[in-house]
Amino acid sequence: MKKVYCEVSKCVGCKSCEIACAVEHSKSKTLFIAISEEPMPVHRRNVQSINKLIISDACHHCQEAPCVSACMSGAMYKDKDGSTQHDEEKCVGCWMCIMACPFGTISRRKKLAIKCDLCKDNVKGPMCVISCPTKALSLKDVQRGEL
Amino acid sequence: MNYIIIGASAAGISAIESIRTVDKNGKITIISDENYSIYSRCVLSYYLAGIVSEDKLKYREDDFYKKYNVNAILGKKVVSVLPDKKIKLSDGSEIPFDKLLIATGSRSKMENITGIEKEGVFGLRNIDDAKRIDLRLIKTKSAVMLGGGLIGLRAAYALHKRAVNVTVVVKSKHVLSQMMDEEGASFVQKRMQEQGINILTGLAAKEIIGDKEVKSVILENGNKIDCEIVVIGKGVQPNIELVKNTNIKTDWGIVVNEFLQTTVPDIYSAGDVAQSSDLITGESTINALWPNAIAQGKVAGLNMAGKNVKYSGSIGMNSVEFFDLPTISYGITKPKGEGFEMLIKKNSVKNIYKKIILKNNKLVGFVLVSDVNQSGVYGSLIEKKIDVSSIKNNLLDNNFNFAKILPLISENRKNFTEPEYDEILITNK
Repeated sequence: MKKVYCEVSKCVGCKSCEIACAVEHSKSKTLFIAISEEPMPVHRRNVQSINKLIISDACHHCQEAPCVSACMSGAMYKDKDGSTQHDEEKCVGCWMCIMACPFGTISRRKKLAIKCDLCKDNVKGPMCVISCPTKALSLKDVQRGEL
Repeated sequence: MNYIIIGASAAGISAIESIRTVDKNGKITIISDENYSIYSRCVLSYYLAGIVSEDKLKYREDDFYKKYNVNAILGKKVVSVLPDKKIKLSDGSEIPFDKLLIATGSRSKMENITGIEKEGVFGLRNIDDAKRIDLRLIKTKSAVMLGGGLIGLRAAYALHKRAVNVTVVVKSKHVLSQMMDEEGASFVQKRMQEQGINILTGLAAKEIIGDKEVKSVILENGNKIDCEIVVIGKGVQPNIELVKNTNIKTDWGIVVNEFLQTTVPDIYSAGDVAQSSDLITGESTINALWPNAIAQGKVAGLNMAGKNVKYSGSIGMNSVEFFDLPTISYGITKPKGEGFEMLIKKNSVKNIYKKIILKNNKLVGFVLVSDVNQSGVYGSLIEKKIDVSSIKNNLLDNNFNFAKILPLISENRKNFTEPEYDEILITNK
């Protein structure tokens, strides 16, 4: 399985990833139209900082995903490729997943939980990686031991 | 190996999934007294509200049992656990097992109140409850919820959405008294009242009156509320009757050790019926909640299949949203005794409330209203029992997020053992 890694030494906090993410998850997929969409598209990646350290963070597609265990409607699930995905059709907006995510990477958009889906519907791959001007973000294989 | 699982809700289903990660070929039989596909009882109030269809109650595919090679006996009740590794069904038949999981869950606690047997009085626990309430709505103008806990409020919200005039009768001083402090709960209470739900606190019902059917509820103070439906939301009670007259130790629920074993070898218990230790307080208790049931089912299943996995303990936690106001409570929210420290941030205009409870500089609980997005980060600090002295002053900052705990993760590597933390820290040098 692959996930998006952030190389902290290269991240300058420009938030290009946040914008690319929000646009990719908008209806129009165009920045200038997306900003006037209702509801406003939400980015699933967040640039955060502490002291001088900057990190762009999003769902880590955990091996033992606490959000999947906590989800009482079956909306959050592990996909065959190992990624953690969310079926918006099934989500009831109870926020159990938000309560469970140790990284705080799930947010609310109206009544739906929103998280990184690795841009699974876009053959080009995660748009945050493509948009990152310093190549801090990259899509790499995950090396995790057995449970 | 011949596994039997009693109960087909969160813990039972989770156990099947985890057994199959270890034992692909063992014989698994699941027995449930409900003759339905796998459904989520936590979603029932959304179904009753008309927000989701019956189909959406299913949280696993229809072919789940087939896919996991499970023999499902549905619509039959297990009446007792027998010595010599056998169980007995309501039809008199007996089934032997090598490993047994008791995941019989809990039921609505019905109060000892005059008139409770009348038509129109319900719990809200099973799909049948929801369907019966739904059927009665056609002749319902008003409903009374007895109990201001999560069940009572969820039922109130659902019926309000169905244009029923709803009154909630709460014995405590405020709603959600088991779940959070008075101040946090006041935001929820106010929002519900503003939206037209009548909430009476500090009051109990004395009698339910009517002939065959419910006509009204008489309160302690003599007031009478006319209604066609009464929903009892007085908490739940574990279904332990089947282990009576066995050597399986019970207290409030079935007592289990850290491996989720009962006091009888090869018999395990998980979910709302299992009394295990609380991760934060260490007390032996039942936190009858979905995520705990799933986690327990997983651990019990692994151990039944021969692994040796410890359960870290259950957590009292809850998340709910009424009328666009989300609320999450976690751990100790109403500390009793000495040594607790409280951090509070409040904005009544914006409906923001954040309260963090610490003991010995470690988080032990929190209540969040409106701004709940970072609750899991707080939760991980609680679960991993991290000393937060160095970031205590930043915990309630508006921009508090995962990055703020990165130094704590580096300092406490032995507590953050999941591979995802390694993946973050690899690039964080």
